[in-house]
Amino acid sequence: MTALPYDHIALCAPVTEPYVRRSDHGAAWFLARTLRRLLDSSGIEKSAIDGLCVSSFTLHPDTAVGFTQHVGLSPRFLEWLPMGGACGVIALRRAARAVQAGDAEIVACIAGDTANETSFRDLVATFSSFSRDAVYPYGAGGPNASFALIADAYMRATGATREDFGKLAVAQRANAQRNPLALLRAPLTLDQYLAARPIAEPLHLLDCVMPCAGADGFLVMPETRARTLNLPFVRILGAIEHHNAFPNDPVQLRGGWAMDRDTLWTQAAIGPNDVQLVQTYDDYAVISMLQFEGLGLCAPGEAPDFVRCHDFTIEGSLPHNTGGGQLSMGQAGAAGGFLGLVEAMRQVLGMADGRQVPNARHALVGGFGMINYDRGLCTAAAVLGRA
Amino acid sequence: MIRLQRCADCGCAQYPPREVCSTCLSDRLTWDSAESLPGRALARTVLHHSNEPAMRPRLPLTIGLVQFDAGPVAVCFLAAAVMPGDAVQLRLNADALLEAA
Repeated sequence: MTALPYDHIALCAPVTEPYVRRSDHGAAWFLARTLRRLLDSSGIEKSAIDGLCVSSFTLHPDTAVGFTQHVGLSPRFLEWLPMGGACGVIALRRAARAVQAGDAEIVACIAGDTANETSFRDLVATFSSFSRDAVYPYGAGGPNASFALIADAYMRATGATREDFGKLAVAQRANAQRNPLALLRAPLTLDQYLAARPIAEPLHLLDCVMPCAGADGFLVMPETRARTLNLPFVRILGAIEHHNAFPNDPVQLRGGWAMDRDTLWTQAAIGPNDVQLVQTYDDYAVISMLQFEGLGLCAPGEAPDFVRCHDFTIEGSLPHNTGGGQLSMGQAGAAGGFLGLVEAMRQVLGMADGRQVPNARHALVGGFGMINYDRGLCTAAAVLGRA
Repeated sequence: MIRLQRCADCGCAQYPPREVCSTCLSDRLTWDSAESLPGRALARTVLHHSNEPAMRPRLPLTIGLVQFDAGPVAVCFLAAAVMPGDAVQLRLNADALLEAA
């Protein structure tokens, strides 16, 4: 059965509560500030929000439920999406379907986290039962160790080099220098990248995202409502998700995108060569490369060549992670799952100020999340189009 | 001794241990127990950083993914000389951290 297209749905009001390295505020502060920004940028009243999707790691022990009381919302549609780097596209999917079904009219989608001295370690130590019991005791390397193992296997399987990973990181830093919201804006050369100290070989310091605090959000509503409100919007041309795909692969050399890629492009009625920019979930460059392969930008195992053939800066042949990605913006917990989507919205809306990709009509956004044990379980992607 | 969980109904081995068999959902789970179990290294990393202060004096630590011959994949300490592709024997050792260091 073919999925219903996301017709007549508007994505509006990409907002960011600026990222900071550390904060004394709780996660609810970042999420609530983002909600305020959504209202301010759209001109709607708080009471008009009748649907809510929330993602956060540090809101614990609260969930989206407690957050409604925290900020005085009374939604008739509520989602708690603990899906890490896939939560943005998945929020978009849930919200769009709720609006299409009439279960909500205006859905606020928000994701964010705080960061302090112990929050990251606490999160890593008890991230999941499998990781607590069967990963953390082996050196407590956290996500760096898990992704180092994937990167090691990927490099051996494909011939990818540190220079390939570095090319992505350096291009993202160049893009970040044009984004006032990015935390890391100092110039970065490939030599500096290669000379960084080892963290979990083959990963070195500049392969690793910097944990920080912050939040992102957007609104989903019927196109008719967006027009009435005079709000610029983008369309969802296609969107997919998959969880625990390919469970029998011994090492994660592919993600779930491959299972739904054809569905995505068929639904979007365009192909991978028709997008003007790509936002991947870049907690590590190897995962961006898995997205290039899984989403059909190149064949499986060929991302290293693909990376060598392209320029990923704003004026390059394939602008990628145009705001700097998590590698240069910082990883504000669950907001990392929104960052690429919000940046893609800004680009397609023509709101990307000093880093606008010329003629950005179509954008591809990937999501990847939740290293439950040895691999990321959640994959998602969306194709956005200019209205 | 090392123990690997196995389903008494469908025969599948699994790791990490679960409440039910992830293949057939049976809760009739048994254990393969042995002094060591054979496997093959799939990937390795050398950790130079740990989130756990107590482990930092032991750095650098070599960690790997090892596939049991029975199928499942374990995250484990590797002897420093083991490289991906090598056949290995998996043992459970309460002092593994000490030994790996």
